[in-house]
Amino acid sequence: MNKIMYLEFERCIGCRSCQAACRECGDHDAKERNYVEYVDFMESRQTYPMLCMQCKDPACARVCPANAIQITEEGVVLSAMEEKCIGCRNCTFGCPFGIPKFDFEENKMYKCDMCYDRSKHDIAPMCASVCPSDAIRFIDYDEMMQLRRKRTQMNLIEGKKPQEGNKWEYVPEFFGVYSD
Amino acid sequence: MSDFVAKKGVKNLQHKDEKLITTHCCYCGMQCGMHIRVHKRTGEVRGVEPRYDWPVTMGKMCPKGVTAYQTIEHEDRIKKPLIKKNGKFVEASWEEALDLIEKNYKGLQSKYGKDALSVFGGVSMTNEKCYLVGKYARVALGTRYIDYNGRFCMSSAAGGFIRTFGVDRGSTLPWTELEHSDCFFMAGSNTAECHPTSIQWFWKAKDKGAKMIVVDPRETPTARVADVHLDLKPGTDSALANGMMHILVKEGYVDEAYVQERCNNYEQLKEQVAHFTPEYTSEKTGISIEKILKAAHIFGRSKRSVVMFARGVEQQSKGVDNVALYSSMSLLKGHIGKFASGVATFTGQGNGQGGREHGQKSDLLPGYRKLTDPEAVKYISSVWGIDPEEMPKPGVSAYEMFDEIQKGNIRAMHVICSNPAVSAPNTEYIWDGFKKLDFLVVSDFFLSETAEYADVVLPATSWAEDEGTTTNIEGRVIRIRKVREPYGDSKTDWQIMSEIAKRMGKEKHFDYKNVSEIFEEFRLATKGGKADYYGVTYDKIDEQDGVFWPCPSEDHPGTPTMFKERFATEDGKANLAIVDWREPGEIPTEDYPHILTTGRVVYHYLSGNQTRRVNFLMEQCPLPYVEMHPELASQYNFQDGDFCKLTTRRSSMTVEVKLTKAIREDTVFIPYHWGKELSVNQLTNPCLDPISRMPEFKVCAVKLQKIAEYEMPSPI
Ligand code: SF4
Ligand code: SF4
Repeated sequence: MNKIMYLEFERCIGCRSCQAACRECGDHDAKERNYVEYVDFMESRQTYPMLCMQCKDPACARVCPANAIQITEEGVVLSAMEEKCIGCRNCTFGCPFGIPKFDFEENKMYKCDMCYDRSKHDIAPMCASVCPSDAIRFIDYDEMMQLRRKRTQMNLIEGKKPQEGNKWEYVPEFFGVYSD
Repeated sequence: MSDFVAKKGVKNLQHKDEKLITTHCCYCGMQCGMHIRVHKRTGEVRGVEPRYDWPVTMGKMCPKGVTAYQTIEHEDRIKKPLIKKNGKFVEASWEEALDLIEKNYKGLQSKYGKDALSVFGGVSMTNEKCYLVGKYARVALGTRYIDYNGRFCMSSAAGGFIRTFGVDRGSTLPWTELEHSDCFFMAGSNTAECHPTSIQWFWKAKDKGAKMIVVDPRETPTARVADVHLDLKPGTDSALANGMMHILVKEGYVDEAYVQERCNNYEQLKEQVAHFTPEYTSEKTGISIEKILKAAHIFGRSKRSVVMFARGVEQQSKGVDNVALYSSMSLLKGHIGKFASGVATFTGQGNGQGGREHGQKSDLLPGYRKLTDPEAVKYISSVWGIDPEEMPKPGVSAYEMFDEIQKGNIRAMHVICSNPAVSAPNTEYIWDGFKKLDFLVVSDFFLSETAEYADVVLPATSWAEDEGTTTNIEGRVIRIRKVREPYGDSKTDWQIMSEIAKRMGKEKHFDYKNVSEIFEEFRLATKGGKADYYGVTYDKIDEQDGVFWPCPSEDHPGTPTMFKERFATEDGKANLAIVDWREPGEIPTEDYPHILTTGRVVYHYLSGNQTRRVNFLMEQCPLPYVEMHPELASQYNFQDGDFCKLTTRRSSMTVEVKLTKAIREDTVFIPYHWGKELSVNQLTNPCLDPISRMPEFKVCAVKLQKIAEYEMPSPI
């Protein structure tokens, strides 16, 4: 696998198809591992999706006292191993993105694994497959770099220039999930 | 042909014990491609797999599509015919149910005449079935009273297109071209929620610098990504379109050569739009002059624009006018019949396009033929094997059928694939109509609000238990495959209609062994008509990724782009719309000071009979609510989550308040997917468009009242 999960928040239309699709992944027990939130519904309908960043040095794995969270050779951070997880929920607090969730009935942690059964065969994870707006994409590293450059180029074509106070509009507000 | 279609090099996840069956979503007009996962041994439906290589949707689906398979083997499915005895439904055999139908149909017809029976159809089913509904009403039952739920959906678009272009194909261009367009003018369409997978095309174009102008009283997820959001007052589209054309003419944005050569009425149009100055337009629509100018200049400078609209402009008493006016904007630019430009409406129902072309409408015969045209009657009679004299005359529109019930002319109804108890306007009148009927038959696979009124409920199969074709939002005919055997004792709609035909002594006209036989007859029936499907075959659909109608012969590739050389009017020219300003059916008054508008949410489909049974969708949106601007809310001291009683001249209902600045201050919005006390259509105005007979769902006057305590009823 040499692909990247690439998020572009601005495109999100809030349909939560990514959540519905997450439940459909064979290994996901019909429980979604991503989430979609309104930025502020009072102001606008802008939403954004969030999924696991598959961090190089994942906080969830670091804070796990039982060493239950494994990372695959491709760099995918898996759900806690059932036989090791002691149910302390440190990981759910440790993750800055709020990704790991805890199943109180089964007494175990579960999280986004990039639909490992799909992505290990280079098939897009369910969320990236269905996302109607391409807010979530499963693409090559080169394509990602090209997309990032394009963003700046578009602003030039539009004759926009960052000014004090709106610089953030010109910073690509997306980031990749590096799995490799 | 294989049941699984995938192009070379496309990877899908396929589990060892499962097979994939290639089909399309059952819900909206996007008809997203999908594969259904079926267990090889048990035939059980397991889930969904994206169809990455379907060129219109690329594997993308909205949450309704992702969860659609969950309705197939749902525990609420009706497994056996139900007969109402002493106010309660009792399971019965098909024999008993058909006996009862035969007895009542024959009894009522001998007492009150043939037209005592009526059929209320729907377009969330295949072309084969939609075609058969018209034949069933006219040949098996011999009644003039047939109409369908598309009357509440696509009828204004149809009326406007026919008036302007002479033919009604929802999109004049294939959507795969949309990424090359440079400007979208989108009115009354929240496509991000109602046709979510269309959004990828707009983003693709936007990534290359295309501009988007969105006309909507709410800042919907679609309007949010627009370059200009024209936040008009509901019901003022005709002023806006005239105002836009005023600027196009004044600023020299008109393609004079195109208009001279290909359009009628240009001089009158110039006169008509002369008084729609930006000031006047702004006064009528409530949009700022600055925004109107900005939008007009962006649109005016565009080289490849697409004008698009949906129910927001069509579900009005001026629906046909609105469609004709917005289409005229595109004509002035000379953009119809060219690459990556044109006009399109967003088809609401899965087969809203195909289903409206083949004779479910009160005055239409297959192939978009007119029932008032003697030649058409002669031709279709010959296909059906009846005497032209036997062909019933045109009936009345969907809502007007309920007037006929009140008058005692219609005594029985067969509702097929529709739930007017939720989706018609002024629902209390509809409910009363159902109660007045001597006999009501409903075919459905879940017990809908309409079915609850029935004397007999016939269990129909879902979309996954039958094959056939549908016609998507673009006018592309596509193929629906059978995924599993009928659930319980259910039968396909075509089998049900054939069984009843047999009971009515018309079996020789309904002697079908399979769907292909209906398809063959259907092709022939459309031959030579405006919507000509004669050259469409199942194999060709697979080979070509669908076939665009008109396709008059087997060696014809189909017609992705319409009107390249001429329009389908008699003189080959398009008719520009000459329409003056007219108020909607209701405007705010002292007693009813605000405007109520209605629409969809992304999680539900139409009357919600299917989507209200899917867990994921219900978790996201279990109940209707009223969306309100905080400025309006503070006049009544409403806070988020308070209960608001809304009253119109028809009725009242109570829902929770949801505050957002993403809506006009004078307008409130309620989604319409729920029944009974939760149905906003208790409140909507049945003021009909004079041509399309479309009710004005989108505009009515309302008053608000704060309610301290309220218990919301159950959503199912
Ligand atoms: S599927 Fe895509 S557009 Fe829809 S909520 Fe998820 S990220 Fe947003
Ligand atoms: S409801 Fe429409 S957009 Fe959603 S998956 Fe079905 S066809 Fe596609």
